[in-house]
Amino acid sequence: MSATLDYLIDRRGHPARFDAPAVAACFDRAGQTAAFALGDGTLRLFDLGDGGWSSHALHAGAVLALAPDGAPGGFITGGDDGAFRRLAADGTISDIARFARRWVEHVASTESGTLACAVAKTAHLFDGAGTTLKSLDHPSSIGGICFDARGKRIVASHYNGCTLWFVAARTDSPRKLEWKGSHLAVAFHPEGDAVVSAMQENALHGWRLADGQDMRMSGYPSKIRSLSFTRNGKWLATSGADAVVLWPFFGGGPMGKAPMEIAGGAGVLVSAVACHPKQDVVAAGFADGLVILADIATQRVLPVCPSGGAAISALAWHPTGAFLATADESGGVAVIDLTSKG
Amino acid sequence: MSDTTMTAPEAGPAADATVPVTVLTGFLGAGKTTLLNRILTENHGRRYAVIINEFGELGVDNDLVVDSDEEIFEMNNGCICCTVRGDLIRILGGLFKRAGRFDGIIVETTGLANPAPVAQTFFVDEGVRARARLDAIVTMVDARNLPARLEDSPEASAQIAFADIVIINKTDLVTAAELAEVEARVRAINPLATLHHATRADVPVATLLDRDAFALDRILAMDPNFLTEDTHSHAQGIYSVSFAVDRPIDPEKFQSWIGGLLAEKGADLLRTKGVIAHPGEDRRFAFQAVHMIADGDYIGPWKPGEPRRSKIVFIGRDLNRPQLRRGFEACQVPA
Repeated sequence: MSATLDYLIDRRGHPARFDAPAVAACFDRAGQTAAFALGDGTLRLFDLGDGGWSSHALHAGAVLALAPDGAPGGFITGGDDGAFRRLAADGTISDIARFARRWVEHVASTESGTLACAVAKTAHLFDGAGTTLKSLDHPSSIGGICFDARGKRIVASHYNGCTLWFVAARTDSPRKLEWKGSHLAVAFHPEGDAVVSAMQENALHGWRLADGQDMRMSGYPSKIRSLSFTRNGKWLATSGADAVVLWPFFGGGPMGKAPMEIAGGAGVLVSAVACHPKQDVVAAGFADGLVILADIATQRVLPVCPSGGAAISALAWHPTGAFLATADESGGVAVIDLTSKG
Repeated sequence: MSDTTMTAPEAGPAADATVPVTVLTGFLGAGKTTLLNRILTENHGRRYAVIINEFGELGVDNDLVVDSDEEIFEMNNGCICCTVRGDLIRILGGLFKRAGRFDGIIVETTGLANPAPVAQTFFVDEGVRARARLDAIVTMVDARNLPARLEDSPEASAQIAFADIVIINKTDLVTAAELAEVEARVRAINPLATLHHATRADVPVATLLDRDAFALDRILAMDPNFLTEDTHSHAQGIYSVSFAVDRPIDPEKFQSWIGGLLAEKGADLLRTKGVIAHPGEDRRFAFQAVHMIADGDYIGPWKPGEPRRSKIVFIGRDLNRPQLRRGFEACQVPA
């Protein structure tokens, strides 16, 4: 893309640059604050109300995982110091749990306040007050965790498949979704119809939950680190190719079909994707720092951030879709204001 | 990697942008922990992260020490011996999220570990390859116990076979004659590794780290006399065979032969290294493989007046010497 393009970040961006890799980004559930997790153990918050930045030291090493807290204004984080922590809306930092000599590699939460973290082979569940609900063991280290949209089930990926648990079940008899190989990032279909994992072998594997049908989606030139369903689950957007790859989850599913590809042609890999919460629009970040928005129906592309920077490590949408957060591997972050204004 | 591949180096981060990773293998009691404690506490002014296995007990409390369970994953890529260390992929990914750079990373394996999955991780996983490079495999052996270990566990031979550097530790506990025998046993398995003697793992850190032993141009460091050594016949176990030929090697014939050989025998070929003369080419072609995963490229020119002999070394088990010799000789251009 040429330098004469009009990038949204120039007119609508709130950029900042920090001295450590930006690892993850998200908005709180009330949509008041954008949070960026950094490799120096801090969370950097951007207040959407007053436009101010603040820094909060959460971990001794790197922040490895970030999610909104169940409560408005708060965030939960996992670190390589073995801590699972909470930053409340008033700035208070507290431990939810600590794990000696281990890393807290994945965290997740539900709207109703259930919290989860993954430490080695175990997923730990907590209620909103931080009381342990249960610990779910897996045959090997967990590659990713994800709640379903209602917060009733949680899926964990690992070697040779994924395991699906009911959060509130009294007796734990999980459903095992098996497929040979190492499964990493994992996503739940928004209607709860399917689970999809990204594998070590540059491919996705999905399971249709109604009948256990396997869904193989392959052909990627590199590992898929980021996957995101559109709001109603019609499409699954992924990174890992030199275009935004969109698999159709309608009309029988993605099996045996070619995916749609958007915004390709420059030969640069997509490194992060995030689907808009209200519209069939996907945000995609590339390995050269380029960020775009793409309308899936028209395939129209809107440039957000120019190329020439570090790889985009994370993208996150505000709950209403009014703001987009972008983060890159060298510590460059931005909040893009997409609200209509004069 | 669905098949044996021999690729030119890809355009990517320069070697100096990647963090060197040293793999430390050796049996329980060989002295790995003593060495790691020294690396972590000595005042060398460098920052090393150390990934220790679940049985490791380091005396130092250091936030650069990471515990790991060795998790060996098979790759679904049609390559039967292609296994990687899933835990390493995760941990290295996490370490690279930290602020500040490491001068190096040291990965300790359990005593009974096969070094292949850890080595292959650095070639197979693109995310690891982009940020880290395998610097060297260092194997520590106990001078007094090595003969017994070689008899009772196949892993002991494998760890020596894979090594770029072998530290023979606890030399104060053996006689000069016993030490010479231990050295001969190590050399019979691996004629290419650099040997160091130590009493309490007291090897200068600089001789172990930043060796760049997997760089193709280091293949030249192959002992020029290795071919003159008497090659023993080994009824079983792991050993090496090497050949040299005088006529230039036809690149296409060589590619076809070595590709087929690694695909068929890769599971038994632990490490392969070669320096090849191509017809009408003033540069040397260097080649190496870990099991089926191969790498090759041109390195510096032949020295003026230097005989352009092509050499190849196989370290492995069940090596059919006459067949390998005929195969290599048949790659020569016609006389």
